[in-house]
Amino acid sequence: MEFPTIWHRLRAIVRRRRLDRDLDDELAFHLAMREADYQTRGADAADARVLARRRFGSVAYLKEQCRDMWTFHPLETLAQDVRYALRTLRKSPGFTLVAVFALAVGIGGNTAIFSLIDAIRSRALPYKDPGALVALWGNVMRARLERRGNSYPDFQDWRAQARSFEDMAAFDGQTVTLTGIDEPERILVEFASAPYFSLLGVNAERGRTFTAQEDLVGAAPVVVLSDGLWRRRFGADAQITGRSLTLNARPYTIVGVMPPGFKGLSDTAELWVPFGAYAPAGTMAARGNRGFGALARLKPGVTVASAQSEMDGISRQLERAYPDTNEKRGVEVSPLDVELFGALRPALLTLMAAVAFVLLIACANVANLLIARSEARQREIALRTALGAGWPRLLRQLITEGCVLTSFGAIAGLLLAEGAVRALLATSPVTFPSFVTPGINTQVALFTIGVSLASGILLGLAPAAHARISRLSEALKDSSRGSDGRRSQRMRGALVVVEVSLAVVLLVGAGLMIRSVRNVMALDPGFDPRSVLELRVSVPRAAAPPATTAPGAPATPPEAVVRGRTLLDRIRAVPGVAAVALGTDLPLDGNAAAGFYTAEGMPPATAQTMPRAYTHRISPEFFGTLRIPIVAGRTFQESEMTAASSSAVVSERVAQRFWRGQDPIGKRIKFGALTSQSPWLTIVGVVGEVKYRGLPENPTNDPDVYLPFVDRNSQFAFAIRATVPPSSLVAPIRAVIRSADSSIPVYQVSTMEDLVGGQTSQSRFTMWLMGVFAAAALMLAVVGIYGVMSYLVTQRTREIGIRLALGAGGHDILRLVVGNGARLIATGIVIGLAASFALQRLVASLLFGVSTADLSSGVAVALLAAVAMLACYLPALRATRVDPLQALRQE
Amino acid sequence: MGTKDHEPAFLPGTLDMLVLKTVSRGAMHGYSIAQFIQEASSDVLKVEEGALYPALHRLEVRGLLKSEWGSSDNNRRAKFYRLTAHGRRELEHEADYWTRVAGAVTRIMQTA
Repeated sequence: MEFPTIWHRLRAIVRRRRLDRDLDDELAFHLAMREADYQTRGADAADARVLARRRFGSVAYLKEQCRDMWTFHPLETLAQDVRYALRTLRKSPGFTLVAVFALAVGIGGNTAIFSLIDAIRSRALPYKDPGALVALWGNVMRARLERRGNSYPDFQDWRAQARSFEDMAAFDGQTVTLTGIDEPERILVEFASAPYFSLLGVNAERGRTFTAQEDLVGAAPVVVLSDGLWRRRFGADAQITGRSLTLNARPYTIVGVMPPGFKGLSDTAELWVPFGAYAPAGTMAARGNRGFGALARLKPGVTVASAQSEMDGISRQLERAYPDTNEKRGVEVSPLDVELFGALRPALLTLMAAVAFVLLIACANVANLLIARSEARQREIALRTALGAGWPRLLRQLITEGCVLTSFGAIAGLLLAEGAVRALLATSPVTFPSFVTPGINTQVALFTIGVSLASGILLGLAPAAHARISRLSEALKDSSRGSDGRRSQRMRGALVVVEVSLAVVLLVGAGLMIRSVRNVMALDPGFDPRSVLELRVSVPRAAAPPATTAPGAPATPPEAVVRGRTLLDRIRAVPGVAAVALGTDLPLDGNAAAGFYTAEGMPPATAQTMPRAYTHRISPEFFGTLRIPIVAGRTFQESEMTAASSSAVVSERVAQRFWRGQDPIGKRIKFGALTSQSPWLTIVGVVGEVKYRGLPENPTNDPDVYLPFVDRNSQFAFAIRATVPPSSLVAPIRAVIRSADSSIPVYQVSTMEDLVGGQTSQSRFTMWLMGVFAAAALMLAVVGIYGVMSYLVTQRTREIGIRLALGAGGHDILRLVVGNGARLIATGIVIGLAASFALQRLVASLLFGVSTADLSSGVAVALLAAVAMLACYLPALRATRVDPLQALRQE
Repeated sequence: MGTKDHEPAFLPGTLDMLVLKTVSRGAMHGYSIAQFIQEASSDVLKVEEGALYPALHRLEVRGLLKSEWGSSDNNRRAKFYRLTAHGRRELEHEADYWTRVAGAVTRIMQTA
């Protein structure tokens, strides 16, 4: 059809009434003219009228013909079909309500999960052209590839040599003590090199960001504030630039304020410091000292893969130039959205599949209802066919009905999704980045429309296929209710099988998630997190005397230890505290740092085999408080709490690696290579391995080495084992720390159980939603089975009546009906289990320590079978109460 | 579009062409178009006049004609049709085609 035609016809839809009037006028004019013509030729008025009409032809027919020219047929018939569908739906409000509700649950669930997936897409990142942003991480090939931070000399070489990137910036988040205004406070800051802001495409709201000059090590110290900090601590001072603040006892000049909402890549930063101030100049210059991340923007047209291969080349050059520090060292180029959202995606995609299953079950249910109705309407349909309605026309009508239903479902579903997403974000154990704001946008709306149209077509096809099967011509004869009953039963039986198998897959999936989370939770982390509170303090460095770190130096008790011990004693005196320990870092608090070490007498090592361990400086009570088992030897003694001490406690893996079958006590290790200047440390104790850095498993399997806590450590954490609910101790402990020194900020306060919980948040999120979907699936499937079985009983009333009349007992009837349902359910379960096994590998990455062949799958199937059988049993019971006489009279 | 055109006793499609040709001389209402075709053909092409209207509406919907209301010679409100640029091209195209077909038919009739 040509464009003007479509345009005119579309316009005609709105201007229908005027067109009709115009047509009447136009034809009337013609007739009047012809009449006048006849009259001038001598005919009288009445004759002229008749002659004019005769010459003109049938006015009604021609009008119809003209109107037809303006009619947009597809739209007209659609409107007609929609009106018809609305009329039939209004006639059975109960059916409509149930169907719309089921569809709303299905479509709403799909919309909700899709809006989450949509919200964590690359373009959702609040940065300029986020698709081209990548993170650069160092890595090292050891037993497997391990990701590491970057070193400043490496970073500078990359930046100078790489051609794939528009620019590159170093960044790292840290906590620092903010003083100089009111109370001291620990705040999260990002050290960032100048291009950081331009790479993200975020500019200062007031003042400016950093210059390249300010990036240099030793440059004049400046900072940029976040909008939040500016308002919270500086009263939104309009003259903020030029003012100064103190971070870690150093003065900084404020040069700018970032726009509201910008919290850096860490999504927690309150302030930015130029990267030159990241670490002391000596540390910055060490190529082997790795710790921070890098951000870069790919040049237009450069792919991640080509950038990766360029960086591989640069890494090999650096490896040749600096074999000591760069052996087997590489770079990983990783798209920023993968960095930020990568972990969430498999879980959300699994949930998307799960909720799609729920929708399919809902559709199967509604299709069943539609079939039931179409059977009741079979005579109507047959009549329409006999009157010339073509098969395509009927199909279109059925699909329109389906789509009208799903449209209502979609509207209700959108409302449902809006609420569901909000509730989900509020209760989710996973904290989404602050800029993730799922909602109903164009993308999501299009998805919902697509889903509802697809379901509508499915819904239309089911009764269509059914009507096709139960030959329409026969229906007209109304031969008997039983004649096409068998075929109809097969169709409905198939739907029951589909529902059951989908529900099985979801239940098995939910069972696996629950088991997996329980496995992780039940895992022995190597310490006892129950009733333990942890909090971190930062003791002003200026208060500590000059460090006496030289090995073998006179063992003067350094002041910081005394101060740490003072706090320890004061905390121990708080009522409700059973035990307290201090350490530079605690399990799962994310503050661990690692170094290479050498064991005395070990064979020479390469970069891949060089032993690496995480070090923690602790007080003697550490193992007792956290209930980390001491396998051999002892914990530290009070006399060893000096910088000069050469005692060490190691975790079991160190002993197993070097002194298998020997007594590790008294053996020696040192940090660095054999030739390094660091002192030999003598092992005085061996303790159990701890899941120190992650659950269910540490990211790398490097062991732990514990050293005595000394003065150099101005930041440390307390682990407090409580005899009362641990969170109730926060206020009294804060009070005793403040009474000791009011300038000590307390931060990272949390219970150990919360830290453990944080490690399983994503699995719990998935588990929880899977559970909800599986429950919805189970409910819908059971309703579906009940509906079908009830219908079958009604349909076979006559047959049942005959059987009863011929002497069958209630028991036989029960067996007949329940057996019928049981066959369908069993088939569904077998198919569902097979599908679960097939789908298992898709969710493998989300599971820990379970497979489909788990007991939980058996429980899931048993649950479904039990409920489904109950849904069969009730209609069957009704069947036994059929009155044979009445049943036979029914026909 | 499966509309069944009620064609008069013309060769199929010729009515459209005749209407376009008639209107190409200037804006006309339906009655005068009918009159003109009849008179110009010396009453050879005499049809049920009403059949003209579906054709007019079809041509308008296709964008070949444009209509507007005006007053007739005897001062009555009448709907006038005018050829659009698109209609003019279509007329040329059809007239061309007609000449070729008519020529061919005539040649066959003469030689046979």
